[in-house]
Amino acid sequence: MSVQRGGYTFEGLPLADVSPGTNLLVTGPALGGIRTLLLRMLLRGDRREGTLFITADTDGPTTLSDYAAVGGDHDPMRVGVVDCTETGVDAVDHNVHAVGSPNDLTGVGIEFSSLYESLYANGAERVRTGVYTLSPFVVYSSVKPVYRFLHTLTGRIRTADGLGVCAIDPDAVETETLSSLAQAFDGRVALRSENGETAIRVEGLADQPEGWQRVEV
Amino acid sequence: MAGLTIACVDGDPEARRETRDALVDGGHDVVSCGTVAEAADLVGTGDIDCVVTEYSLPDGTGLDLTGLIRERSPDTSCVLFTDATPDRIDSARHEDVVVEYLPRDMPDARESLLRLVENVVAQRTQVGYPLPPDEDERLAALAQYDRPGLDAAETFDRLTKLARARFGVDVAFVGVVDAHEERFLACAGEDWETISREDSMCTHTILETDVMVVEDVDADPRFADNERLEELDIEAYAGVPLRTPRGATIGAFCLTHSEPRSFSEAEIADLRRFADEAMEQLELRRRLDESGEESDPTISRSPGTDADGPAEPEPAAGPRDDSGGEEP
Repeated sequence: MSVQRGGYTFEGLPLADVSPGTNLLVTGPALGGIRTLLLRMLLRGDRREGTLFITADTDGPTTLSDYAAVGGDHDPMRVGVVDCTETGVDAVDHNVHAVGSPNDLTGVGIEFSSLYESLYANGAERVRTGVYTLSPFVVYSSVKPVYRFLHTLTGRIRTADGLGVCAIDPDAVETETLSSLAQAFDGRVALRSENGETAIRVEGLADQPEGWQRVEV
Repeated sequence: MAGLTIACVDGDPEARRETRDALVDGGHDVVSCGTVAEAADLVGTGDIDCVVTEYSLPDGTGLDLTGLIRERSPDTSCVLFTDATPDRIDSARHEDVVVEYLPRDMPDARESLLRLVENVVAQRTQVGYPLPPDEDERLAALAQYDRPGLDAAETFDRLTKLARARFGVDVAFVGVVDAHEERFLACAGEDWETISREDSMCTHTILETDVMVVEDVDADPRFADNERLEELDIEAYAGVPLRTPRGATIGAFCLTHSEPRSFSEAEIADLRRFADEAMEQLELRRRLDESGEESDPTISRSPGTDADGPAEPEPAAGPRDDSGGEEP
């Protein structure tokens, strides 16, 4: 199988393949399984893929540990973290790069670009990028740099045939803000958790399952 | 993508020359300089599509330069092309400028730089506002209505004065949103001429299918920290997109007020009528210009062509379904 000519696959999730260069916004309540969903969407389809996390809610080591818990491996040549938490520290052996604050969108963008390039230089043929979550960036920064950051991130992913998956809790931001941020993405994966049952629904992408699809996360 | 104008900023003449040559070989015009001050002056001319800068410069850093650029020409793309690794870059003083970063020591760095520059300009990845998904088509449509001789200023002056009186607001205006700024075709109550796109509320209105109302600007996180709106004394806003017969949104008919206020359904319906009238005036002028006629713009509407698409029978540039509103 040559995944490089096909789309990104999501094993065990009710999602069809997604074209290279796609950026997805994943929305759902913070405690409703959205983190696990994002981690599973970032599982590498094969060893030639890379995965890059931008974390603002949990630190780098915790992110890698949680990634391993859903089946992710941690090859530091192909997997890395930009840690934007205020307690984050560099961990070179684990390819964790600390920025120090989600306010510093310039620093986050520089670390992202550097890590993205290094994953390709290490042999990754394409890279899945996940942001967990966008909420701190939106809450603690003014809107103009947030738009710049999002355009920069999604633009580089689009150009490199990568996959972008950015999570946000809709309850953490105003409806109008969420609506305008969504313009930067190609599609949206909504997650809901009701009566002990979790489901997702894809909006804006062709050839995806229609309506709510039950998912175990 | 060829034909960009790029500023190449590096204090090392040899490195600057090598970078410049790579960009020139890619088909672009390049102006070179070695300091923050020189580069800031270059960007101030407004002709630069992208700035490629080393981080360490004799009179500051590439981020100092980017900070100046964000003040003077906010949409201009900036790329740090540098030997400095991220841990050597002090971003804390410029945490909101956001740049592209490319390490100079990577394999085929200058080829990668060329692709990156072309992509960031083509995709407009450093603008500080949301972009419509059909932005290129939207701008192409706008160009059809933005020609010499299509001046509708007198008509729009009358319309906006009428609207200002009808709604009892401080300002009524007709604005078109181009690539980097909004230009006011008429503005009753103020003498505004332009506003940068990242500061313009109409930047958000053109994303809407219908009206955008902001009753209290300070309570809306999209605008609450917008200093330019504060300078213009805008505390409330209502705008209806100007949509061409083919569906492209080129601007908006808007009201602003210096105190928070609401707008009734009847007022919104009338605002839609004003927008319909403004768009119809633009459409009539475009068609007259296209047909070469110089007669009274109210007597001829030749069907058969559309501004932003192939010729087809005339679609309505006229009224929306707005039953229930009042006449202005």
